[in-house]
Amino acid sequence: MKNSFIARNPSILIFLACLAVFTLVITLMSHAYGTGGISTSFVKTLGRTLCLCLVAIAMDLVWGYCGILSLGHFAFFGLGGYMVGMWLMYARTEIIVIESLANSPIPPTAQEVQDAIGTQIFGVVGSSEFPLIWSFAHSLTLQLLLVVLIPGVLALVFGWLAFRSRVTGVYLSILTQAMTLALSLYLFQNESGLRGNNGLSGLQNLPGVTAGQDAISVWFLWASALALGLGYLLAAWVVSGKFGSVVRGIRDDEARVRFLGYSVETYKLFIFTLTAIIAAVAGALYYPQAGIINPGEIAPIASIYLAVWVAIGGRGRLYGAVIGAAVVSLVSTWFTGGMVPALNLGFYRIDWVDWWLVLLGLSFVLVTLFAPKGIGGLFDLVGARMAPNRHGADYGPGKGSLREKEGQE
Amino acid sequence: MPRRLLSALLCLISLLATPLAAQEGPLQDLLQSQRALIEDSSRRTIGPAIDAIRDSGLDGAALVLEKWEAREMWQRESDGLFFYAEEVNRDTLHLYAFDGPTDLGEVPDEGFDQLKPNSGIRGLIASALVQFQLSDPDISRRRAALDALARDGNADHLPVLRAAIENEPDAAIRAQKERLERLLTIRFGATDAARIEAIAYFRGDLAVDVRAALNPILATRREVVAGEPPAGANIAAELTPGSETFPAEEAYGLLVSAGLAPARLTADAQRQALAANIVEGRVGGVPVAELSDPAARDRAYDALEAAGTVPAAATQSEVEAALAAHSFFDRYVEPSAAVTDAAEEALNSIELKLAVNQFIDLALDALSLASIYFLAAIGLAITFGVMGVINMAHGEFIMMGAYTGYVLQQLIPNYTVSILVAIPVAFAVTFAAGVAMERLVIRWLYSRPLETLLATFGISIALQQLAKNIFGTQARPLTSPGWLDGQLVINDIIGISWIRVAIFVLALVFLAIYLFIMQRTRLGLETRAVTQNPRMAASMGINPDRVNMLTFGLGSGIAGIAGVAIGLFAQVTSELGQGYIVQSFMTVVVGGVGNVWGTLAGATMIGFLQKGIEWLNPSNTLAAQTYMIIFIIIFIQFRPRGIIALKGRAAGD
Repeated sequence: MKNSFIARNPSILIFLACLAVFTLVITLMSHAYGTGGISTSFVKTLGRTLCLCLVAIAMDLVWGYCGILSLGHFAFFGLGGYMVGMWLMYARTEIIVIESLANSPIPPTAQEVQDAIGTQIFGVVGSSEFPLIWSFAHSLTLQLLLVVLIPGVLALVFGWLAFRSRVTGVYLSILTQAMTLALSLYLFQNESGLRGNNGLSGLQNLPGVTAGQDAISVWFLWASALALGLGYLLAAWVVSGKFGSVVRGIRDDEARVRFLGYSVETYKLFIFTLTAIIAAVAGALYYPQAGIINPGEIAPIASIYLAVWVAIGGRGRLYGAVIGAAVVSLVSTWFTGGMVPALNLGFYRIDWVDWWLVLLGLSFVLVTLFAPKGIGGLFDLVGARMAPNRHGADYGPGKGSLREKEGQE
Repeated sequence: MPRRLLSALLCLISLLATPLAAQEGPLQDLLQSQRALIEDSSRRTIGPAIDAIRDSGLDGAALVLEKWEAREMWQRESDGLFFYAEEVNRDTLHLYAFDGPTDLGEVPDEGFDQLKPNSGIRGLIASALVQFQLSDPDISRRRAALDALARDGNADHLPVLRAAIENEPDAAIRAQKERLERLLTIRFGATDAARIEAIAYFRGDLAVDVRAALNPILATRREVVAGEPPAGANIAAELTPGSETFPAEEAYGLLVSAGLAPARLTADAQRQALAANIVEGRVGGVPVAELSDPAARDRAYDALEAAGTVPAAATQSEVEAALAAHSFFDRYVEPSAAVTDAAEEALNSIELKLAVNQFIDLALDALSLASIYFLAAIGLAITFGVMGVINMAHGEFIMMGAYTGYVLQQLIPNYTVSILVAIPVAFAVTFAAGVAMERLVIRWLYSRPLETLLATFGISIALQQLAKNIFGTQARPLTSPGWLDGQLVINDIIGISWIRVAIFVLALVFLAIYLFIMQRTRLGLETRAVTQNPRMAASMGINPDRVNMLTFGLGSGIAGIAGVAIGLFAQVTSELGQGYIVQSFMTVVVGGVGNVWGTLAGATMIGFLQKGIEWLNPSNTLAAQTYMIIFIIIFIQFRPRGIIALKGRAAGD
């Protein structure tokens, strides 16, 4: 067992242990299963944060390890949410409709039920017909399959087109940004069949479940923690071993890896699609906790924030991405929630609801300039895992290549 | 002195005395003869009174109608005589008699009733007044009368208008009158021949009013009759039920609404009929619980039908027979076939010309959109295209320029001056911001382009929030000077607002400035040298740090000026720049990095493409943007280096 996967990556065990302890503590403090020290809405916030950590892992995999700065991963996140949201909305409306039709003297036909659901869901965009994309909305299994399939296929097609024509670097970033912009603009139309800018709502109610929101929020916390743990394991497994070395090689010098005989495009496509699927799963767990999804959620800005989290947390290390997403999103909630006392400078009163974004933007610039390793870099100090002193010499051809940590391995 | 006073007094007395004499006259007689109708003041009966005044041929007839319409006509209660008056204050009237007209001086308003014609009567009066206004000596009143006629002329105006053409001294108004006469003839001409002649007059005429006159002639009504369509009816098209444009359901619906066939049983009606006939938990022998199946419902309804409790509904075969027995057609509202043919022919001749002109108009729109994209992107063409720096805060520089323009407008009240001042000031402000950003952030990241993207994004959100904190979230107006208001109108179809023309010109100026700086100045030479090979340039005595700083400042400064221009037609908000950033990057990437002609080509392509897609799908600009982005993503597959790709060493990489 000396060379087992876990043994080679002790950080996995530490991470999983932390996650388990965290989940247990929150459960014991929740309203439904514990002392009630934490409000239900805060449990939901924590559950959502775990989902954001999961999508941050996906981002770290594609950017920190493979060097593709994708500014479109929130599109996959949102698509996952839409796919689950369709079933949640359909199933819940179906229950309501059947209840209301049960009072009529004549039992309703299947068609009548269908029509009534359509009117309920699409009345807000002035339609009552079910668009084609809702064909599978009645079935949870099919719709869960779509959570994986739709973003996966989109990422596959987009990635194939982009990598095949060797679009790299900032061009790829702009292209992915264009993709998510196109998708959000498309979803903003009523004709897209997903209720336009109204989005899908009422997703926090699980159809057929009588338990209250306090219990449901804890279930989702568990599900999110499980998904995060599995996602972390999967990502750690992918980047370990030979496959991981090739992927990091692509980040550091794509041309050299290609000349060594590896099919760079296939590796990139695999990582891009895999991370899209991880993002979609995260989204599918996130939006039932948020309760509502609309096209604004997948605007380009969201994906850039994702990159911000990963950069602040520390690229190229999976726990860094998790820390970045958790810290930035929680601190952000803290600041924008008006919970931070305003700072009185005498001549001006700094209200943090207004100034938080300025602070975030500037601290982001500072992190990029002075701490490229992010918060995760602190662990290097703690673990005394300092790089051998090379007297300032670089490892590779470009200044950004090969992190110190990998030089040791 | 006393003498003069005396004479003045005498004068006053004589003035006061005359009214009694001047109250009588032909106009007063005329009004008195129509007194009953005028007092009645009803829209249905007032016609003859107005006509009598209009056709009296008396000089003051127009005056009477005008005063009446303006609610300035008053009637004395004691003897029923009519006057017009101005209200001096609440209780005093300045009275005039129509005949003369004669000034009767100020009198208290007691004993006088104001005539208050309702809007219907005033419309009739206005229509009668047209005759006088059309030959009014005042040219502006003739114009106003023609405008009024063009808006809502009626058959009565036609002879009046014809009569007014003869003595028209002004050539332009004469032409306008003749044109209006033709238009009115199309609608109200006495004979078909006259109308057809008038229609033929407008062949190939692009004006909107011509189409507005011709289109109603071709209006149709969908009708249905048993058997063959009536002979002699002016039929536009016969319709076959069940065809693509005229589905059988629609045809049968027409039959039902015409009362020629019984209604089909809708699912709703069936359910209600069944619900009304539930007997001991069964309907027509079928248990209620089974009625969730449509087939069971049909069986139950058939049973009820057989029992005679519900009316028989039309079956499929009955529907088919009914459709076959009737003929459906679109019938022109206009009875004369010759007139509709002529109108159709004239409209066809207009259509081709119209299409060409609409295409030109669309192209102008696309051109102006392209110049907006070009303006937004040209600064980026320098910082991203030449230097390779991804500046996500570029949009915020555009916003800073727009806000600079707004602040200057608050300081300088004259819009022309403030815009002229705003351009250099916006350049200076954003130049300084750009230089500061380059010095403090970007130069440390030249070897890490992806991190430049993220750092500048951090600056972008900080600047955006800063602008929100300073200027608030509501949109601030940047008002354009008066001479930029309105449109450059070429004909009824082609028109382009002056602001867009100005932006187009500004885009050309920017192109020239860019080319001049890059090709003809020391800075341009040094910039190109540093971009191609910084080390070699440095060894030639060029200071790359300084050049990078100045180039970045230049690109940012141009973004600031673009911001002033964009602010003129868009609302200035803190999110102004954000909307342009993705489009600008795509413009530069699609066009080809490192070449301003590429940016021009990219902006032109994106502008024309977007307008083209909008034209294909006019209701939906969101869809147009979606399809455009998808097109760009696919386009980059085939030309990853853009439309105009640099070749050789300049391409670097």
